[in-house]
Formats: sequence, structure tokens, C-alpha cells
Amino acid sequence: MTTNKIKDRKQKANEKQQNIVDALKNHGAKVYEDLENGQFPKFSIPSRSVSNIVYDKKIRQYILGNAAALRSSRNSSQLRSFTQLMWLAFFANRLTQEKKSSTLRDVYYSSQAFEIEFEDQSESDNIIVDLEAVLTKPREDFHIFPEERSSIFGDLNIEYTIPGYEGKKMNLSNHPDGYAIGPSLTTAELVDTSAEIVIAIEKGGLFTRFVEEQVDKKFKSIIINTGGQAPRSTRTLLKRLHDEMGLPVIVLTDGDVYGEHIAMVIKSGSANAAHLRELTVPDAKWVGVWATDIEKFKLPTIPMTESDIKRCYDLQSDPRYQEGIWKKELDVFLKIKRKAELEAFSKYGLTNITDKYLPQKLELAKSL
Amino acid sequence: MSSIKEKFNQISPSEFFYRNRDLAGFSNPTRSLYTAVREFVENALDACDQKGIFPDVHMSIKAIDPEKPDPKPYILTVKDNGPGIESKHVPLAFGTVLYGSKFGLKQARGMFGLGATMAILYGQITTNKPVTVKSSTDGKIQDEFELLLDIQKNKPVILKHNTKEVTKRGLSVSICLEGDYAKAGSKIKDYVYETSLITPYATITFDDPKGEKFHYSKIVNEMPPAPTIIRPHAHGIDVETIRRMMVESQFEIPNIDDAMVEKVRKDLGLTKNNLSFTGIMDKAKKRWKTLSRPVRVVISLMSFLKMDFDKLNKIRIEDIDVPNKKLYYWDFGDSQSKSVDMDPESSHYKQLTGTVQGETLTTFLTKRFQRIGPSTAVKFAEFAGFKPEKRMGTMTNEELVKLSDSLQKFEDFLSPDPSCLAPLGEEPLEKGMKKFFKPDFCEVIQRPASAYSGFPFIVEMGIAYGGEIRPGGPHVYRYANRIPLLYDEGSDVVLKVVNDTDWSRYKVKGDPPFVIVTHICSTRIPYKTVGKENVADRQEIERELRLGLQFLSRKLAAYMSKRGQAEMAKKRANLYAKYLPLIAQFSTELAGKTKEPNYKKLLEEEITVDDKQD
Repeated sequence: MTTNKIKDRKQKANEKQQNIVDALKNHGAKVYEDLENGQFPKFSIPSRSVSNIVYDKKIRQYILGNAAALRSSRNSSQLRSFTQLMWLAFFANRLTQEKKSSTLRDVYYSSQAFEIEFEDQSESDNIIVDLEAVLTKPREDFHIFPEERSSIFGDLNIEYTIPGYEGKKMNLSNHPDGYAIGPSLTTAELVDTSAEIVIAIEKGGLFTRFVEEQVDKKFKSIIINTGGQAPRSTRTLLKRLHDEMGLPVIVLTDGDVYGEHIAMVIKSGSANAAHLRELTVPDAKWVGVWATDIEKFKLPTIPMTESDIKRCYDLQSDPRYQEGIWKKELDVFLKIKRKAELEAFSKYGLTNITDKYLPQKLELAKSL
Repeated sequence: MSSIKEKFNQISPSEFFYRNRDLAGFSNPTRSLYTAVREFVENALDACDQKGIFPDVHMSIKAIDPEKPDPKPYILTVKDNGPGIESKHVPLAFGTVLYGSKFGLKQARGMFGLGATMAILYGQITTNKPVTVKSSTDGKIQDEFELLLDIQKNKPVILKHNTKEVTKRGLSVSICLEGDYAKAGSKIKDYVYETSLITPYATITFDDPKGEKFHYSKIVNEMPPAPTIIRPHAHGIDVETIRRMMVESQFEIPNIDDAMVEKVRKDLGLTKNNLSFTGIMDKAKKRWKTLSRPVRVVISLMSFLKMDFDKLNKIRIEDIDVPNKKLYYWDFGDSQSKSVDMDPESSHYKQLTGTVQGETLTTFLTKRFQRIGPSTAVKFAEFAGFKPEKRMGTMTNEELVKLSDSLQKFEDFLSPDPSCLAPLGEEPLEKGMKKFFKPDFCEVIQRPASAYSGFPFIVEMGIAYGGEIRPGGPHVYRYANRIPLLYDEGSDVVLKVVNDTDWSRYKVKGDPPFVIVTHICSTRIPYKTVGKENVADRQEIERELRLGLQFLSRKLAAYMSKRGQAEMAKKRANLYAKYLPLIAQFSTELAGKTKEPNYKKLLEEEITVDDKQD
């Protein structure tokens, strides 16, 4: 990778930062003016209600429709949430300007220092999503990161951009426990890699096994532990690995309906984040464990629960599950009403999954 | 058998009450002290009410030996500014247990005499001390008595009597009794407090044994009109009452003594002359219309006896046998009983039978009951199956029961006359409640008069909300005939009606600061128990209470929604005052400015908008 390219990207990152700061400033200035002119300031927030969430086939993800809600400080029942939103913009501005990171929980507690009251964290989380919707940018862009950490391992060189570490380089295969995907990693420059594929895996235990079995070397891969449903920062990183480094992404989950959906969210996002783009890897491939694999590999299974079955029916009405393996596997799950864990392969030896299953699936992925 | 009967007959009223003092509320030192306070205070208020005097009642309770633990002897003194009691009546009024024998009905707090005498009796039993009564009817001379009750003879024993000059009219009664103020204190204080609420035209002072003073001044300057005594209503009558009324309606045969003969002579204008029998009869015939009833009776008797005054002096009338038309008399000269026949066609016969057999049914009804005119009386007689001219004196027991039953059942009587009731009135009630509770909202209502089984009643109610009222309401203050009802709340009809109300429908929620006052006035309050603390749920009374409460609740709801709006506006104004500065602060930094925007205009605008809404 040439230095020019890196410079380019740095510039891009700086621009992105500047865009956020500008957008925040614009909104602030508008409110300031309104107040000065004796007007009640207001925000237009894209509506995130179910009726306004539609599936866009072109970009293969859920997006918000045109409906928007006006949040006005004139309305006494909205005054409180308006103020909360203003405070969050103000707080996000400080974070971004000073290149400091925060988390959902940290935001909730920070509010108390400014006499802003949130009933509970879910109320402040909601306001954060409001600001995402207003700016149409994920919260990571204004330096609010998820609490939960997933991890990454593999031959990938990065260069930090966060204050105090600017220019510092790191290879992500130096530490066998993997590297936590936090703010510094998400914002780091991706310099170069010898890997040819990204393997996202649902579980920490299997992630460790993969590292031990040197899946990174054997299959020239970067291994990412999503820790269940992939956090936004992890999805951002997956997207960057795909878009910036040109790496294909495959997803390996438990053999159940929830596993299938973890893969789907990486591929095409969630309805919860319909107001955001740039979080999806439309080319990501789910390679297993499929419902059909259960039969094929004679995996030990457990019966599906009531809620598993209900979830199957729910997903059947989701437009993304109307074709291909997504529809096929969902139907099989519903038919057999049984499910299998990734660990089920242990029945045939601890390394069975890396020795037998994974190579087959990697091969298969090429044709998917 | 006969000896037992004799013994029973010897029990005097005071002995009877002494033996049954539990019934009258003198069961233990706590209850007795409270009951005694009530009896004396209520007598004082009744006395003033009846004479239209603004009551000024002073009550004090002092321990004889404050160091002793309760129960112990206390001196209870109640002093009023009422009409006082005439000196000659004092010993009887306070030294005997009186029978109340009034047939007239009117609303009063208590039956005069009974309760107070019970208190005196109880004091005497527990401490062996006399009652001290000071009374002045003219505001100049005061009679002071020290009395004991002779329980067995039901007679007062005057220990001391003296007079002195005073400047104020009124009555003061002081007794010594065993009591337990530690336990009764809070009830007595409640009683005084609640009494002064329902008598806002009275000044009531109470000095308690611990040196605390409670003073409730007169709030209103108008007395409620005094109740008038009226005749009973047919629906509210029983056999026993009819029997007692009949005794009054029958006339006794006058005792023919020298004084009587003298009176007859005088009325006939014969003081000097002595006429023969026929001469007397002629004279009587001429003057018949001017003669009084007893004189007519004597003349009628003489007409059958065919005697002049001299002969009349030598006999005694024994019996007038109406069915057999015979007149029996004792002849002193011959020392034997004799009889003469009476001619039923003679006008004198009618005079005598009328006297002996009492009034006709129609006269009895129209004269002795309220709201019965001659035509109603005749209709009723037909309904009950009696001849209208049936003499009351000729009724058998069975007929009396039939009469009583029919009086209850006959539906064409007009409803009872409420003029015997003395409700407090809406204005004094409202003033009293406002002064007492200092509420934000107060509304009162007096329902029209109604009646239950022949007894008229009126319900008055008030509702107060907010202000200085403590939360946890509704707090219910119940009154009957201006007496606060403090015990046995649970089973009371008022509580039933209040508890049946869904207050959230009237926008009253949570732990409301909220008071309800109810006052039931009636010639007879249908108490559930002897203790007279809770009113039975008579359908008619319940209905009036319910209608009254509904009316007041609707008013309260209107107020509450207004209050809610005002509170909301205030809340909103507070919200803006709180949040707009924050919005200004954040927008200033976001916009990269140093000076905050001028948002004060918005605050003012918001507040003026709210003012308009108010």
C-alpha cells in the first residue's frame, strides 16, 4: 500500500470528523438563532417507527422512509427530550473536538454533571439514536462506542489515529488472546495485511480455538469474534476490511435461527439501525452452521424452544428471507425443529471443526 | 309471686338507671368522663339554642390530685350563658331522674335531664361528692346548691343552698367523678373541636387537666332558627305511643269536692241563692254554652242523680257504666252503693260518655297528629275499617294494634312537617368549614327535607379540599343533631356512602387533602346501637346522603380540573424556566459563540400565554 493511499485515507478520516463537527455546529447555530429571534427552536428527526422502516432492495438493507417527527421546544411534553438532544449534541461536539471516547453507559452518567436527567440508560440510549438519525451518522462517528467488546486476530498492520498514539503501528497477530475492537482500533488506519479472507465467528470459545489452531495462517485469514450479535464498531470494522482492504467476509454461527440472523445483520443491517448506512457488508456470506449441515454432518442437536420457533415465523415475513439459502435454511429449521451449537463438532474431536468443516465451507463460500 | 312484683314496683327511676348505667355510656372511667362532658356541654348548648342566645360555654376538667395515676377523681365544670334554671326547679332538675313525657317532637341534642342526671349519679357513686349547681335566671341573683341524689327515693338531698349577687345569667354545673383523662383526653378534645365546627355561632372554651387551653370563638353572627315543637306524624307512631296519647285525650270525672261545688255554683251565678234541683237544671240549660267542661260534667251527673248541691255533698261517684247505661255512687248517709239508670237519649248522657270514652277517631287524628285534616281522617277510618265516630276510649287492645298498623300502612298522609328540624344552614356550615380547615375549595349543600317512617330529616353536607387539610382523605366528620359522632365509624351509613364513591371519577387521586362533613337532623336519628355513635342505613337517609355527596363531588371535580389546569400551567412555566437556559447554554458552545442568546423573551411569552388560559 502506498503512502499516498494512506494519506488519502487520513484525509478522508479527517474530513469525516470535520463533517460531524460542522453538522453539529450548524444545528447549534440554528438553535442559537431561533432563541435570539424569540423563536422556539426545533429539530426534524426521521421517524424510526415501524411504519417508516422499509427494506431497500437496491442497497440491500433496511432504510427509513420519508416520515419525520418534529421535536419542538415549544411543546412542553417534548421540551425535556429536546434539551436532552441538545445536550447530547453539545457533548458529542466536545468528544469529537477533543478526540475523546465515550460509551453508552458513560454518556448516561455524564449527563448528571450537566443537570440533564435521564430516567435510565435506555432513555439516554434512545436520545443517542435520535442524534444518529438527525446526523445520519453512526454514534461511533461522534465518539460514542459500545460497551461490549468483540475481538480480532490476524496478520493486519494498523496505525493508530487517536491522540497520544498517532502514527504508532501494530500488528494484530502479536497477541494470541486477540485485540479488543474498541474506539482506537475502529478509528485506526488499516495499513496492510497478508490475509485473503475475514472469518467472523459468533463465539469466544471457538475464536480461541481458531487462534490455537492457527486458522489465520492455515487459511490466510483474519479472525473476528463477534460475541453474539456483532456490535456496531465490529460491523464498521468488517465493512472497512471489506471495502478498504478488499477482503471477502464469511460468517460462522451456531446452527439456529438466531445464528442465521447474526449473519444477516452483518450482511444487511438491522431494523434498529435503519437510519444508518455504512454498517453493512452486503457481500458477506453466511457459511454455517446451516440447518442442512445438521443432517449432513450428523451433529448432536437439541430441540428448538417456543421462542426459537416464533422467531422463525417472524423472519419468514422479513423481505430478506424470501430467497436463496436464507429462505431454504429457515424452512429446514422450521421443519426439523432442532438446532445445533458450533461446539457440536467436538463430538468428532476438538479440531474437527477446523480440520474438516471449515475447509469445506471455505471452498463452498467461493461458489456462493 | 306477688312479693316479687311488689319489690319491682318499688324500684325508683334513679335506681333503675343506677343499675343500668352501662346503657347510658357510663361503663368505665374513660367512657364515663367523655359521656359526662358530652351530656353537660350538650345541655348547655340546647339551653342557649332554645332561647336564641349565642352560646358561650366554658368547660374545665381538673384532677383533684394530679400526682395520682389514672383513673382518678376529676372535677368537671361546665358553665354557660343560657337562661339558667329557676331556683325552685334546681333540686328536682338535678336531683331526680325525670321522665320525659312530651308527645310533641322537635330536634334537640339530647333528652333533657336524663344524661346529665346519669353523670351526676355516676359522680356520686364513684366519689361520694355532691353536685354543685349555680344558676342565675336574671343575671342579678345566683342560687348555689350542693345536692346529693337519694337513689332509692329518687329525691334530691339539699346539702347547701345560698344566694349571692352576680352580673351574668347562666348555669354552671360542677361534679366530681372518677375518670381517665389519659385515655379519654384525645376523644374529648376531638369532641370539643368537632362540636365547635357544627356550632359556629358558639364560643367554646376547654381547660384541660394538663393546663392546655382550647378556645374556639364564634365564627358566624347568626343563630340558626330554633326548631318548633310539632305533633307527631302518623307514620312514626307505635301502639305504646297511641296508648299514651289516648290517656291525654280522655277526661277524668271531676272529683266533686267543696271546691268543685263552689265553682259550679259560681259559674251558674248561684253563690248566694240555693236553688232546687229543677231550678239548677233550668239555670244550667240557659247558661250551657258558657260552661266549662268539668262544670258540664257535674251538671250532667246531677241530672241523672236528680240531686241538688246539698245532696251532692253526701255522695261519691263510683263509676259510669256506659254499656249498661248505669251510674254508680256511694251514699255516705246509708253507707251503701247505689245506682241510677241513664237515659241514652238525653244530651247529658252524651256529655258523660264523651268524657269517659274520649275523642272520636277523627278528632283524635286531626287534633293530635300533624298533617291530617278531617277528610283525610275519614278516608283513613275507612281504610282502617273503623267508624269515624268511634270513641278512642272504647278501643280494645286488638283494635289499637290494628289502628297502629293501619297508621303505618296508609299512604295518603302528607309527608312529615320539617319545621321541627333545626339544620345549621348552608352559610354557617360553609363559614365554619372555611375557618376550621382553611381549604382551597369548599362547597356545601342542604338537601330538601325528607322523611323515613314518619320522622322528618334533613341532610346537610360540605366538602373541603386542599389548603391546610392534611393528606390521607377523605376525612369524614359525622354529625347528628349537631352532635359529633366519634365512635363506631365503620358501620355508619355516611361511611358506607363515602366508601361507595369512586373518587377517581371526580379527579381526586392519591392521598388527597380532603374533608367531608355530614349533618343529619331528625326528630329521631336511627342509631344502630345504644351508644348513639353510628347511624343505621335507612334507605331514605342513604339516598339523601348519596344525592348530596354526588352534588358536592361534581362541584369538587369541576374545581379539581380547574386546579389541575392551573397546576399544569405552573408546571409548564417551571419546565421552560428550567430547560430554556440549558438549551441556550448548549447552543452557545455548539455554535461557537461566547455570549448566550437572549431567550428571556420566550420565557415571558410562555408565562403570559398561561395567564390568559387561567
